[in-house]
Amino acid sequence: MKDAALTFPTTDDRGLPVEFVGKRGALFWLALKTGFLTVITFGFYRFWMKTRLRRWFWSAIRPGGHPMEYVGDPFEKLLGFFIAVVILTFYIGIINLVLMFVSFSVFSSASAGYLASFAGVIPLWFYARYRARRYVLARTRWRGVRFGLEKGAWGYAWRALVHWAVTILTIGLLWPRMTFFLEKYITDRTYFGSMRLHQGGHWAMLYRAAIPFILSILILGAGAVWLFWWDPVVVSSDVTIEGISRSFDEMMNGGEPAFPVVGMERLLIFPLGLAGLLYGAIHYRFVSKRLMANHKTAEGITVSSHLSGPRVVSIYVLGSFIAYLFLMLGIMGLVVLAVVNLGPSSIMGIETGQYGLGFDIPRAVWLMLLASVYLTVFLMWNVLYSTFVTFPLMRHMAKTLSLPQRYGLQSISQRDRDSFAEAEGFAEALDLGAAI
Amino acid sequence: MSMGFDGFGSSYFDGDRPLSEEVSLHIANQNLQIGLDDGNTLFWPIKDIRVLPDTAGKQGFVLRLTTDPVARLFATDRSLIAQLPNATRRAPPKGRGKLAFWALAAVAAVALQILVLVPLLADRLAVFIPPEGERALGKATFEQIRKALDETGLEPLPVCENPTGVDALEQMREALSAGSDPAEEISLFVLDHEMVNAFALPGGFVVLFRGLIDQAENPDEVAAVLAHEIGHVTSRDPTRHALRSAGSIGVLGLLFGDFAGGTAVLFLTERLISANYSQQAETDADTFAYTTLEGANVSPAALGTMFERLREKYGDGNRLISHFLSHPRLSQRIDNARAAADPSRDFAPILDDAQWSALKAICG
Repeated sequence: MKDAALTFPTTDDRGLPVEFVGKRGALFWLALKTGFLTVITFGFYRFWMKTRLRRWFWSAIRPGGHPMEYVGDPFEKLLGFFIAVVILTFYIGIINLVLMFVSFSVFSSASAGYLASFAGVIPLWFYARYRARRYVLARTRWRGVRFGLEKGAWGYAWRALVHWAVTILTIGLLWPRMTFFLEKYITDRTYFGSMRLHQGGHWAMLYRAAIPFILSILILGAGAVWLFWWDPVVVSSDVTIEGISRSFDEMMNGGEPAFPVVGMERLLIFPLGLAGLLYGAIHYRFVSKRLMANHKTAEGITVSSHLSGPRVVSIYVLGSFIAYLFLMLGIMGLVVLAVVNLGPSSIMGIETGQYGLGFDIPRAVWLMLLASVYLTVFLMWNVLYSTFVTFPLMRHMAKTLSLPQRYGLQSISQRDRDSFAEAEGFAEALDLGAAI
Repeated sequence: MSMGFDGFGSSYFDGDRPLSEEVSLHIANQNLQIGLDDGNTLFWPIKDIRVLPDTAGKQGFVLRLTTDPVARLFATDRSLIAQLPNATRRAPPKGRGKLAFWALAAVAAVALQILVLVPLLADRLAVFIPPEGERALGKATFEQIRKALDETGLEPLPVCENPTGVDALEQMREALSAGSDPAEEISLFVLDHEMVNAFALPGGFVVLFRGLIDQAENPDEVAAVLAHEIGHVTSRDPTRHALRSAGSIGVLGLLFGDFAGGTAVLFLTERLISANYSQQAETDADTFAYTTLEGANVSPAALGTMFERLREKYGDGNRLISHFLSHPRLSQRIDNARAAADPSRDFAPILDDAQWSALKAICG
């Protein structure tokens, strides 16, 4: 009809491109400002912080030049959080206490109780994750039209539990199957206006994304066989842990190892293999997203992603390095401050439900100071993580995305508002909505 | 008078279909006139137009009308914003009553949980934990504390086991339990650490620090502290406390979320709460100590003397600090201990000089 962008072939053979506008500096200030307010309000501003950061990111992502819009309301989030607290407080408080009691009484240890209370939260966790996704999609718009996700959080939770059980039983061999079917469950229930999305493809295609991870495991395994059995590094018949640690100590002191050693440098294969494993894990997570995005369709619409695994990994490595660097500096400062002012025992003296005789030390001032440094360090961590990881990651994911076919948009109409009393309250309360 | 704006790159979205319509933009008679391709013109009163907040980039902004939740105008001419008097004003709030209701409900639920349900349940259940369970819990906690207090980072903090010292301590314990029933088994330990403190753990574990024995000027002062801690054991305070923490820590974790790791706030708050419930527990343990000491023919004033020594060393502290340290104010307790001692009675030291020297050398 009137909208040329939807029907005319573009000069770009990728189809309708997704742009990403917005500068890193602007995000930094927004994150810093909202993070600061969050800290001084004891965390209550976080609902506003999250809303504002999402608004910013959503508006930066512009398929065909038109911004996405996030219409979530902080008050709605606060309300949802309160609702979740009312419901969960009884669940968590009473259940935890009873579990601890049973654990002490029956198993004579606390660990059984911790395990049980952790296990009890897992289904809730998946439930909350789906609900949070539904809320975010229901509050996302593009070209004035709402996205949406059908109800089905419990269906998602039990499927996730079964998939995890299968994955664990097959020592991870069927992980791609889990990734695929859980994503398909969500995609097949996702709408843009009146149009339903469809996840095509086959789960086995995701093994391609796992190649670096599998290779790293093979290298580590082969390396272990080579260095400990085939052509051992330590040429000695009686190898003991004690002997190994002793010869390691001696080598550190510049002496000769206690055991005859052949080709020490070959041990480098292990750190390299572990680095490969880390690379493989990030590569899998994002490349599997790309493979599945390329098989998402709707009537008259196709999606295409050219996301690069190595690029995503380098964003993660560099961004996390910057953020961790600051965190380390901050923690070092914190420790120095604590030791100087409270004595070395302040680091160790964490009380665990003991009844001390008690005495007073005038150190409230120092505690306050420590607390504020502590909060500042975590504030900066969040700000730097948003700026140096989330931002480049979002930008890369947006810019590599396009819509080759989009004439189907013309037949879409608006969907009803999904009023959602508890918003993402459960996810917030269970601490899994930390990411944008 | 009419004012025109650059409509190039601007799009109107009607809020029904995701189709971009090219527009011409004018302001006349306090209305933004949005001219559409099909010849129709929309009139948006400029006082009702808002700019979407927190928009990234300078390449275009989005306008909305307060009376229409879905229609959007994407515009590129920034001079338009200057003509909108309420561009950045917030939309009128709605549903605040509901919010207030749930906020109150949440506060009430958490308060009910932490101040009433959890303590009630913990107190009831603590009695039903079998002794083996309590001992296992106490033992695990004791080992944790020994590891945590170690400063060398190699081995857990050593337990002092000089045989003559242990005998003297045993003597003291027996003298104290002379009057009462031996239902609760007490395991007594001295840890080699200069901290002037003592604590009790679930399952009858009572732990003194070497620093406390070093600070004491006579065995009665150590006996007084010991009696106080046995008081906690008898009323099962440590077990209650462990159960309470299990219940309330999870709830507080919910409330504060993870805005900054959360742990620090959680820790301080938990201390505040436990201080609230243990004020009474402390007073009870003190009262128990007076009776026990009298039963062993030791003056209850010894507890006061010990506290006084602590006060000289560390000061009484202000109310805030004493609250955080989960004990009633020292001066008060010193006075109470003095008042509990019967001035007409003739008390004797709990250990003779040889035993006292042995106890002082327990870590040697």
